[in-house]
Amino acid sequence: MFLTPPSTTSSELSASPKPRCRRPRPVGVCGSVPTIQWLVVCVWVVAAAQLRAEDFLDEMESALTFSAFDDELRVHVSGLLDLEGYKFDQPAPGLLYTESDALLNPRLTLFVDSQIGPQVYAFAQVRLDRGFDPGDEGGEMRLDEYATRFTPWEDGRLNLQIGKFGTAVGQWVARHLSWENPFVTAPLPYEHRTMIYDSEAPVSPHEFLDQIGEAEYDYSPLIWGASYTTGASVSGQLGELTYVAEVKNVAPAARTAAWDATAVGFDHPTFSGRLGYRPNEMWNMGISFSDGPYFHPDAEPTLPSGSGIGDFHQTIIGQDISFAWHHLQLWAECYQGRFEVPNVGNADTIAYFVEGKYKFGPQLYGALRWNQQLFDDVPDGEGGREDWGHDLWRADAAVGYRLTAHTQVKLQYSHSHEACDGRGASNLLAAQVTVRF
Amino acid sequence: MNLLLVVAFAVLVLSSPGIAAAQAVIEGKVKLPKRKAPPVVVKRYEIVGKGGVLSPDPPVAIVYLEGTFAKPKQALPVKKILQKDLVFDPALLPIQVGTTVEFPNLDETFHNVFSFSKVNRFDLGRYRADEEPVPSRLFDKAGLVTLRCDIHEHMRALILVLDTPYFVTTDTKGRFKLAGLPAGKYKLRAWLDSKTTLEVPVELVKGEALKVNFE
Repeated sequence: MFLTPPSTTSSELSASPKPRCRRPRPVGVCGSVPTIQWLVVCVWVVAAAQLRAEDFLDEMESALTFSAFDDELRVHVSGLLDLEGYKFDQPAPGLLYTESDALLNPRLTLFVDSQIGPQVYAFAQVRLDRGFDPGDEGGEMRLDEYATRFTPWEDGRLNLQIGKFGTAVGQWVARHLSWENPFVTAPLPYEHRTMIYDSEAPVSPHEFLDQIGEAEYDYSPLIWGASYTTGASVSGQLGELTYVAEVKNVAPAARTAAWDATAVGFDHPTFSGRLGYRPNEMWNMGISFSDGPYFHPDAEPTLPSGSGIGDFHQTIIGQDISFAWHHLQLWAECYQGRFEVPNVGNADTIAYFVEGKYKFGPQLYGALRWNQQLFDDVPDGEGGREDWGHDLWRADAAVGYRLTAHTQVKLQYSHSHEACDGRGASNLLAAQVTVRF
Repeated sequence: MNLLLVVAFAVLVLSSPGIAAAQAVIEGKVKLPKRKAPPVVVKRYEIVGKGGVLSPDPPVAIVYLEGTFAKPKQALPVKKILQKDLVFDPALLPIQVGTTVEFPNLDETFHNVFSFSKVNRFDLGRYRADEEPVPSRLFDKAGLVTLRCDIHEHMRALILVLDTPYFVTTDTKGRFKLAGLPAGKYKLRAWLDSKTTLEVPVELVKGEALKVNFE
């Protein structure tokens, strides 16, 4: 089967009881690993090594740039070496997949950026890690992004891009890599798993609602991380306006395994876009939209008779705004999402975050983020209505320190609270060391 | 009063070009390193029209006279490093200790100049083209300062802060001429990059020209 959840099978899910909160899982063997302590040791080792290696990394940056044909062709290879550790209450939050209460995730990301003449730009991103959404599984290597962009005019009024690349929705994708993201984790709309299950349609509202609390790999967030889906886009800048319109093979909620064109074709494309207004360099605001089917083709046999994949859409309308001035940066994004759920109706949700970062000096910064997601109600099949998810909020705080121009350390604490009868509060401590080359 | 006039006249005469010509001169050539490949502007997640073709400065060297010289009594002239078309211009700037450098942004996008170099660690924050006053920094310690932009990772420039008033940038063929030098024994240095500085001892005689080639 195409979709292989790392730790939970469909049969386990359908046989599960009806908890009202996400259930704590037993701490596994990995839970005894003092992840954070190891990470602290690693920080110091890397820091010490970095102070000596700074010149070397500068030289390597230069050595990994190649040119030919009188500089008409230029290629630059760069990368990020991340080591991140998480300590959290079970169940694992966001897009972490482990039954342990701690996780260590090393990651090597390699980028290739190339410029061919003034008009053609191409890039690719390869990752070696424990999964796009880290879990207990072993290492894997993926080609996460690759795209070619054609820019006929120097003023950027028109760009045509084709490949596998991040979603046009919102502004977070532009700063989702570990070097730019002030936090270790993503904002809530990009990682909080909802009850949307794209591999199988629920047979009734009762079954749909009963799944609350069993969120695992088969369940989708509103937007799955940077959503490196496959397709083509048109973008540009017209004075103070910017625009992006794209057609992709799957919806923003689609899991990582569905992003490749070879995994899911273009039979049921998703259309997304963003219209931005940038009155000056300080302000950047925009509205986003996305609309397209969210079920994986494997779900086709489970859909109501007479309907198909294309009849059940995910729709997103988003607003974003950002501000930057000297050492202060602020961002806010708000999304209204709708999933058309077979045999249930429209499952609506609103998710937003407000985030700020302040640099206290060349090396030290602090960041705060407030996230919230609210769920609307759906028919419960018994004449009433019931929320299809637990409203929740999450507060994130992070500090980051750039040891050198190539090394960064981050520490994040998150506290979240779900509106449910049982254990609704949970905590996460995360640390990340990044070496950029 | 008469004494003051004599002193003023003497200062004027001594600082005039005619007198400077009577001081020592060094000229010569530095063998420059090979030109590096120009960088690639990373534009994966943003619309960047310009920046497709970058023309970074070709390699040059800084030649300077090392010795013990009097500290400047007046404020030194302000220097500038522009940010234009997503590159620093110039990419290598020699200055004397005590010089202030301005960093005007001539692009339509934010820049964020910063340095982690030990001799001068700073972060100017994000600022735009019409920023007033123009962001600047005083360089009060000798050494090499690497400038970067926190937004455009390909941008790089160097400021060589020197404890001497006698320095010059070679042309792109490595040729240089240092004039108006005081007589005496010194070290003549040619800075090529962060790891390569060539050095020769020189003895300067008033009114004479010396030829030095760094091969």
